Amino acid sequence: MLPGRAIFSNRSDGVTPMTAHERLPQNRPIQSDFFGAQTAWEMLSEELVQKHITTGCQDLDDILGGGIHCKEVTEIGGVPGIGKTQIGIQLAVNVQIPDEFGGLGGKAIYIDTEGSFMVERAYQIAKACVQDVLSISAIDGKVAETHRKKMNPNVFLANILYFRVCSYTEQIAVINYLEKFLAEERDVKILIIDSVSFLFRQDFDDLALRTRILSEMSLKLMKLAKSFNLAVVLLNQVTTKFTEGSFHLSLALGDSWSHACTNRVILYWNNDERCAYIEKSPSVRSASSGFSVTAEGIRNIIPSHKKIRIL
Amino acid sequence: MHQHPWQNGMELLEDVLKNKNCISTGCEGIDTVLNGGLRKGQLTELAGPSSSGKTQVCLCTALHVADKEMGEVMFLDTGNSFSSKRIASMMEKEIRLERVMTRIFHQAVFDIFTMFTVLNDLCLNLRQEEERNRERKLCLLIIDSISSLITPILGGKNSNGWSMMVSIGFLLKKLAYEHNIAVLVTNHTVGGERGSSKPALGESWKCIPHVRLFLSNDRETYIRNVSVLKHTSVILGRSSTFMINDGWKI
Amino acid sequence: MSNKLINSMGLSQSISHIFAARNILTAKDALSMTEFDLMMLLDVDLDDVRSAVMQISRVVSPPRQTALQLIEDRGRSDHSLGYLPTMLKGLDETLQGMPFGCLTELVGPAGIGKTQFCLKLSLIAALPASAGGLNGHVVYIDTESKFSSRRLIEIGENSFPHIFRVKGMAKEMAGKIYVIHPTTADELIESLQQIKLSLLQHEVKLVVIDSIAALTLRETETNKIGYKQQTLGCPVSYLKSLAELSQVPIVVTNQVRSTRTDDSSFRYTFEGKKFDRPLRKV
Repeated sequence: MLPGRAIFSNRSDGVTPMTAHERLPQNRPIQSDFFGAQTAWEMLSEELVQKHITTGCQDLDDILGGGIHCKEVTEIGGVPGIGKTQIGIQLAVNVQIPDEFGGLGGKAIYIDTEGSFMVERAYQIAKACVQDVLSISAIDGKVAETHRKKMNPNVFLANILYFRVCSYTEQIAVINYLEKFLAEERDVKILIIDSVSFLFRQDFDDLALRTRILSEMSLKLMKLAKSFNLAVVLLNQVTTKFTEGSFHLSLALGDSWSHACTNRVILYWNNDERCAYIEKSPSVRSASSGFSVTAEGIRNIIPSHKKIRIL
Repeated sequence: MHQHPWQNGMELLEDVLKNKNCISTGCEGIDTVLNGGLRKGQLTELAGPSSSGKTQVCLCTALHVADKEMGEVMFLDTGNSFSSKRIASMMEKEIRLERVMTRIFHQAVFDIFTMFTVLNDLCLNLRQEEERNRERKLCLLIIDSISSLITPILGGKNSNGWSMMVSIGFLLKKLAYEHNIAVLVTNHTVGGERGSSKPALGESWKCIPHVRLFLSNDRETYIRNVSVLKHTSVILGRSSTFMINDGWKI
Repeated sequence: MSNKLINSMGLSQSISHIFAARNILTAKDALSMTEFDLMMLLDVDLDDVRSAVMQISRVVSPPRQTALQLIEDRGRSDHSLGYLPTMLKGLDETLQGMPFGCLTELVGPAGIGKTQFCLKLSLIAALPASAGGLNGHVVYIDTESKFSSRRLIEIGENSFPHIFRVKGMAKEMAGKIYVIHPTTADELIESLQQIKLSLLQHEVKLVVIDSIAALTLRETETNKIGYKQQTLGCPVSYLKSLAELSQVPIVVTNQVRSTRTDDSSFRYTFEGKKFDRPLRKV
């Protein structure tokens, strides 16, 4: 369940960007004078050392290209009970896996609009995460005592910064305020909004105004992700939408909102198995994988049923 | 530059024939409908619903221009969707990776005001380089997506947002014409009648780009369809297909 | 917090006046506009708008807590971990009852006994502690005119004969249950806002809404298809925060719709696609 696997494992032509990365010169001066712009070459070197936040489910990490990416906005949607909040809590815990254990060692911000954050569940998941990480590193047999001390579920809970938001005004306010807040709390590596749509789907009469406000909000979230090297995860509800002559399930908040995220993952039931489908992503292909919600949190599905389907 | 403030039709034609004005997008399907590719000096819009492949076409074009045309590319990104890893994975030969990747510039822009600043700076920069008689290298400017910057200012009780939209369109066309670069912008879609979708930003934006393309994605087969909504010299409605295929290449 | 007045937020006098002059009085007024709209309406610089919006946002933002604080708070206060028993053996064993401070939904087809269940819960909340009740008041929001005092007393007489046989007790029990009859979603919201204060002042131990679906469904039918999602008029978020704030259990009933598994409206467009077939270049 730990991140850090090779990213381009499915390439056939020998030279991988990993080896390309070894050729990258360090501290190269910017050769052009376009203000503030970065070359794709510099970005590549950054992207290749960037760690991702594991979801706890190896199959899901694989199709996501290692896990949830920092500097990107990832939207995860699905019907009630599919496990959106579970994934949210799991990510808030996993982002804290210390550097020495292959994680990011960051804090999490959890913005709860539905009142669905369950602190007892967070404790359970944190405890399981601590045990997993320690048991994996125990095989290496070189875990320093200072590292062990960090691995306490209560420390994990203390690093989940929680905002309970009860109206869309408050939701907009928190997102505005985060720009200041994050400048002081530089350790935060993930921002989870559970759910981004709940408050906007009620008491909003002027839908054109809602579209404008949401699109401004999405740009602010993009900016936070980029400037604070932060993974932004938006959980979203589903609705039925009329397209091409029939009704279909679709994520809430409409067409314009579907452009508001960098990546979009849809969770759905395939018979009685939970599945995740990557609907859009600039860097990985569309694919689907199963996952399960266990007492320990998000995990792979039982091996006998395991299948990853590549499109 | 010109001796006269005007050019006649023959001179224009000569200019078109003499200078290679098309730059290939690296995507056969799109080059076919465009009679060769993006036109320098023009503003091309790529519209389509979410996950229709707009960003992939942008990334592919950026790579192709930097690699085959040896030109510089400026990528203005409003959705954190510029993936240099993805570009690297589309390269056929790793050996040129560094040379090609250093020709692609990326800048994140998250509001319309910053966009104006960036474009004005770019104008200034290009003008200075021309004055210094340096070989002009910037071939392509990509904005992915222009619509996410304009949506928050459009509508409401005043028309100022509307005029800002028109002036950013004007600025882009001026930039394209004066410095002979191709400008590629992406636009999202909104629901039209009976569940169909149409490009966002409305009627006034419609007349701004020289060329408008519409992308769609067949959910069953993953064949992407591209059709021409507006073009100066290509029949409307012309369409072609392409795929983001097995090797995860366009 | 969203109705907090802008002139009490520590903005500079001049900008505060500009907001007031344009009738932007509360945080909600200001934050329901984009920065660009505000800039145009107030006719001030973008930087001024941004710093004012930032100040308003800072004031309106809810306090930051940590998950550890949440778990500690929960351990400290005992009343927050209470339950309203259902007096149904199986249900009380698994759920302990209806949790305080939470919104619980009862779902089932028509005629299964949702209203009966609610009537029973109301009685339990009103019963004296000696009989296993909570000795509290109940707010019963009846949107379908299904509430029947006669049936309530009948249930009481059958379930708790020793109490209801005492003279005057039936009247006292029934007197503790306040019934409200809203006919539209707007009225529902209004009555909810009215009971907010009394929830905190009186010893209300249960709020029932029977049914939450009646109002929303009725309004959906009059709407065009495809706009179903907009008529989620019932203020679910408000109910949830009301439950959390007052630590009262809120029980709502809901109807079920028939679901056909082959119905496309219960599938995403990508579902049913062949995942395993290798794709060929076209």
